[in-house]
Amino acid sequence: MANLLKEGEKIILLFKVNEEVYLGFKSTFRDCNPLHTNADFARNKGFRSEVMYGNILCGFLSYFVGEKLPDKEVIIHSQEINYLNPFYLGDELRFTAIIDHVHESVRVIEFKYLFENQTGQRIAKGRISIGLL
Amino acid sequence: MSTDQVLRETSEIFIDVMDNEALQIKLDTSAKDIEEWDSLTHIQLIVAIEKHFKLKFTSQEIRNFNQVGDMIHLIEQKLG
Repeated sequence: MANLLKEGEKIILLFKVNEEVYLGFKSTFRDCNPLHTNADFARNKGFRSEVMYGNILCGFLSYFVGEKLPDKEVIIHSQEINYLNPFYLGDELRFTAIIDHVHESVRVIEFKYLFENQTGQRIAKGRISIGLL
Repeated sequence: MSTDQVLRETSEIFIDVMDNEALQIKLDTSAKDIEEWDSLTHIQLIVAIEKHFKLKFTSQEIRNFNQVGDMIHLIEQKLG
């Protein structure tokens, strides 16, 4: 795959933060912090409504690595995520990953990525390093 | 860049990747001298060195690394 992907190439995906995603995360991990589950609490803290779990984005990253790269023989070596703005139920997130470095000698590809919402607001950014098995 | 300078900068990368402030890297240091130097940290090391010095190794070059000095001399060569 290192031969297929070139530095500077982009991969763009769209993710919908729907009830299935939100409730699935909540029931699986049982994080019932009121910021994520109580709209009044969230509004009192200055947010529009319940703030979605930031780690939902890590699930989308997992989908990107596991399903959207040209090769299935991949493993995550490391990832970092910086949250820039909250996102909410119903948001449509545009995910853009750019190949930052290809290290062919050790079969590692590093991506920079950005999540933006439907208005173009930056939600999160980070880096992810993928090893080819 | 001199051998000393490359060694100094590479040592900083080793300390960061191996997460061990006490590491003393010399030209004759090899993987058997550093407990944390396993296959995964080796990959991290190569990635960090390639990025830091803005160069690329080939897989054949990496296979020929027996000790830190081999790496340092190749970096020097590539930096010209």
